[in-house]
Amino acid sequence: MTAEVIAAARAEQRTLLSEVEAKQLLAEAGVNVTETRLATSIDEAAAHAAELGYPVALKVVSDSITHKTDVGGVELGVADEAALRDAYLRIHERVTAAAPNADVQGVSVQPMAEAGAEVILGITQDQQFGPVLMFGLGGVFVEVLKDVAFRIVPLEPRDASEMVREIQGFPVLEGFRGTPAANLDAIESMLLKLSEFAEANPEIAELDLNPVFARPDGAVAVDARILLTAES
Amino acid sequence: MAVTRERLTRALAPKVVAVIGDKKASGYNWLRSLKPFVGPLYSVQVDENEIPGIEELGIPNYKSLTDIPEKVDFAVCAVPRQVAPFIVQGCVDADVGGVTLFTSGFAETGEDIGVELQQKVFDIADPAGLALIGPNCMGLHVPGLGVRFNRDQPEGVQGNIGFVSQSGTHGMNFSLTGAAHGLYCSTLVSFGNGIILEAADYLEYMADDPQTEVIGMYIEGARDGRRLFKTLREVAAKKPVIIWKGGQTEGGGRAIRSHTASLASDQAIWEAMIKQVGAVAVHNLDEMIDVIKATLLTKRTQGNRLGLVAMTGGQSVVLTDAFEKEGWKVPTLSDDSYAQLSEFFNIIGGSYRNPLDAAGTIGQDPKHLDTIFDILNEDENIDAVGMELSATFMARRWQDKPEEFDRLITSLKKFMSESDKPFLAALHPSHQEEAALTARLRLQEEGIPTFPSFERAANALRKASTLAAV
Repeated sequence: MTAEVIAAARAEQRTLLSEVEAKQLLAEAGVNVTETRLATSIDEAAAHAAELGYPVALKVVSDSITHKTDVGGVELGVADEAALRDAYLRIHERVTAAAPNADVQGVSVQPMAEAGAEVILGITQDQQFGPVLMFGLGGVFVEVLKDVAFRIVPLEPRDASEMVREIQGFPVLEGFRGTPAANLDAIESMLLKLSEFAEANPEIAELDLNPVFARPDGAVAVDARILLTAES
Repeated sequence: MAVTRERLTRALAPKVVAVIGDKKASGYNWLRSLKPFVGPLYSVQVDENEIPGIEELGIPNYKSLTDIPEKVDFAVCAVPRQVAPFIVQGCVDADVGGVTLFTSGFAETGEDIGVELQQKVFDIADPAGLALIGPNCMGLHVPGLGVRFNRDQPEGVQGNIGFVSQSGTHGMNFSLTGAAHGLYCSTLVSFGNGIILEAADYLEYMADDPQTEVIGMYIEGARDGRRLFKTLREVAAKKPVIIWKGGQTEGGGRAIRSHTASLASDQAIWEAMIKQVGAVAVHNLDEMIDVIKATLLTKRTQGNRLGLVAMTGGQSVVLTDAFEKEGWKVPTLSDDSYAQLSEFFNIIGGSYRNPLDAAGTIGQDPKHLDTIFDILNEDENIDAVGMELSATFMARRWQDKPEEFDRLITSLKKFMSESDKPFLAALHPSHQEEAALTARLRLQEEGIPTFPSFERAANALRKASTLAAV
């Protein structure tokens, strides 16, 4: 499946995979992601939502849109089919207005994940050391404070354990002001799976899992972004 | 063709050495530097004007490498870049073990001619498996064998530090400054452009070298980062490795579209790599020397509780500050320790809470220092011991009454040999720089790790403690 998804993107001369494609690859690699399906019509979206279970999140799927929220392409917490039909139309209207020339493939449907501490996991390629993994807390921690830890692939279990504890914001994951403690084993296991994934797929140039919800009962990636290398 | 270990060993631990193309204009630097070499040293020079000056140094000169009556293990080549390929061919023909190409003006210039000449040198050396060091480097320093590239470098002393440097200057400065701290190299290599042998090759050699106890490295970038990463992982599992990364490599210039890529700065990746392989990062020459010193001369502890001995109340405070800033704790001592200290400690102008403000007590009777050490050694609240040696008060006294300094050294060495707890001393030079330097070198030679400031001592002990005891 991974090879086919990448081949399909290459055939279309795309380096950015859609969220749906990225999550297919990750699910196959054993990384826990929210199941996400592509709908090209309202009826298809409603059918997916019925199977996945409400509430759901709807997100526009387009190669030419980098930041989906900026063009009004995201609806969260959609409670039932009636709400879904309205939300689908709202996305369509807003995106058409904000990005009239965007090439839109459809709308992705996924169940709303139960929130937890938001963390970010990522892959990038270093010129000297090849694939590297990143871990950090999401939101302001990563964007403003750049509070992240890196390791070079392949990771050993000890590396995963150390990088989770290395960030300044680690106490947040141990439970902080009412936020329950995150399941660190689940985060570490996700890092190790990503390490294997990066090693097996040298065509992955960049990957962000942002956010990953780290909860007491596990960790799940609710958004994923994969960029392929320029040449295969 | 890979350079064999046998060939590399011939180059880095040579029995016969030759210098090709040394000149009066450079003060015969190479020949003079290599004069103390323990085995036969030859010169190769064809210029009739240069030969008498070389012979005056008492070094036999030959017109060609192949004329030398024995096989050369290590050669230094200081010829202009255009001639370098011919000399390297000559080394291959004469079955020289390895050669240092001091010559610069190769790929590092970015000029076509430089890149072309470097490729030519590679094409000659690589298929022959020649252990080529450089080009654009200072090469090899083995003080135990009298191999040097600078006349101020030590010789006749067997060191225990392996040092790998991409830069000639930092390699040289490490050997010179290290010697002023009583630290000597087993093998030091400045490898420059590293076209045949690169950092990983020297690291592997030093990991297996029985003389080398600890390895330091100055590096700016790696040609094969994956190999360096794997090699460092293996080497750091055998011996402590301390890495100083200089400079920032430019990014690839590609469009970055993820958070991960935008945060992955060169510095962040190197720091992560160093941590991941089990080495420790330092950021300048002084810190390199400090951490190597602490690694070699202090015992390891898993704990972080210090007993501190100071000479005044003011120093007790800032000594504590310096160590606590680096994550050390300065706890109260056990009741048993306090009971013992109360029997003899002079509390007029002194205190024994921890730090122990002990100048008065030791001044009263030098034996009290041994008692203090015995108490700290037994105290279960204490994992390591630090001591302030005051240049302000003591430098002149030590000069006037050297027996007092001897006595202090005896006490420190006694504690270090009897206790499993790490010990280190801080000797700030104050207004007595020269006296402090003399005292520090003496202490170092006696195996007592001594640092020029509290902060440097605290940092060195912390970083050395993060290195596994291997």
